Amino acid sequence: MKRRLFLAAAACTLMPSIALAHGPTRQKITVTAEVAADPTEVWSVVGGFQDMSWHPAVFATKGEGGNEIDATRVLVVSEEGWPAIDEILYKFCDEKKSYSYRITAVEVDVLPVTNYSSHLTVKPRDGGGSIIEWRGAFYRGYPNNDPPEDLNDEAAIKAVTGVYELGLDALVERFGAPGS
Amino acid sequence: MRLWNDLVRQALRGLALLICTPAAADVAYITCQTGDALNVIDLGRGADVITWDVPGKPAGVATGSNYVLTVSADSKVIRKLDAATGAVLAQTELDGGPIGVALDGQRQRVYVSDWYNARIWVLDLETLSTISILATGEAPAGLSLSEDGRWLASADKEANQVTLFDAQSLNKIHQVAVGTRPFGLNFAPDGRLFVGNVGSDDLTVVDPDIGRAVATVPVGQRPYGVSFAKGRAFVTNQYENTVSVIDTDSLQHVQTIDVGEYPEGVDTVADGTKVVLANWFDNTISIIDANTLSVIETLPTCDGPRAFGRFLVKGAVQ
Repeated sequence: MKRRLFLAAAACTLMPSIALAHGPTRQKITVTAEVAADPTEVWSVVGGFQDMSWHPAVFATKGEGGNEIDATRVLVVSEEGWPAIDEILYKFCDEKKSYSYRITAVEVDVLPVTNYSSHLTVKPRDGGGSIIEWRGAFYRGYPNNDPPEDLNDEAAIKAVTGVYELGLDALVERFGAPGS
Repeated sequence: MRLWNDLVRQALRGLALLICTPAAADVAYITCQTGDALNVIDLGRGADVITWDVPGKPAGVATGSNYVLTVSADSKVIRKLDAATGAVLAQTELDGGPIGVALDGQRQRVYVSDWYNARIWVLDLETLSTISILATGEAPAGLSLSEDGRWLASADKEANQVTLFDAQSLNKIHQVAVGTRPFGLNFAPDGRLFVGNVGSDDLTVVDPDIGRAVATVPVGQRPYGVSFAKGRAFVTNQYENTVSVIDTDSLQHVQTIDVGEYPEGVDTVADGTKVVLANWFDNTISIIDANTLSVIETLPTCDGPRAFGRFLVKGAVQ
């Protein structure tokens, strides 16, 4: 259902969004989920930068550099037309079970954001299990004044929230809710 | 009733300040962009935070002796607030993309950068009416006035340059190529201009008198703001959650200090003993001891603190 968030890029008429001009207000969101599995087990699934197959919207991941700083990956989000999100790793900490990455190129009709950075962290939960936290900071897809509705601040927040929720929901399904 | 309660509370605070702290405390005015608010944080009494509503996504800030200027990026409204009460003393709605702000108390002017239209508004400090408009390079963001009042500088982000104006005549004197995508900048006490380049992860040091870059200093990832204390520059590195400390004489890296997530606006208290910065993602400010170079306190703020500009003032809230 929520796969519609990643709309197939029919025509690549827009320049890839790199860290250039942006809207006036940076947005931020944090989405968390609690699961029954311990952090080590969860991290063994989500803690590889080169493998995002745990996310239902990711059709394929390819990349290079492993979990080293400046490693890159390309998330292909649909079989049809191969719309992709190019990302780069800028922080990776096995001990803290956390990694941080940025989008280096994405069409705004794939994900309506610019200047996007994100952190994925797995923490122990009081009473057992894990808390998975996914945080993002980004500007809307339209860099200038008077954005169209599908590229405004609300559209950016909605799209990123949807991506995070979809991924975290899948992890809750996979590992079970705590206490259940 | 609310007003009365506020007045009583402020009177009591004033009394408490007089009793507890004979010297006026440093006060931080933190613009919270997502929270549409301004936090007033008495650094001597950290937990007691006042919140004023400032709609329109405020980011830019500049403090005067008894007033605060804010720039709301979405609504494009500039406000001059009474520093003690938060009352709106003047406000104006601009167009384009107002973002950075600098105060020129000596000439009773306010400078505001227009991110979208390569210009600076020169406003009257009393009324905030437009006196003049200055042309810059593309996407001016940070503004700074030199301590002697001679120079006004803008960081022209998409032009990879700074523009230097004679602040008296408002004539454009120099355009100086710097690193990639300069955003924040500040004049050091010795008169040199330090420019943070978010695209090339370095600082460019500019001599305004000769209109040239004299040094490039590597710092952390995505350097955003710079302030000075004890002969050192303190640079917030947005993507690294750190502050780079640079010796302003040798331009050597002294230390890296861990702070909160997405550190942004940074300023120094009047006596130079502390450096204060806003952590945008964490909704906190970090207070750094400028002697020991360690974080001595972390205080909560409203949502999305930017504090883009000079946000500290000595003893404004009584």
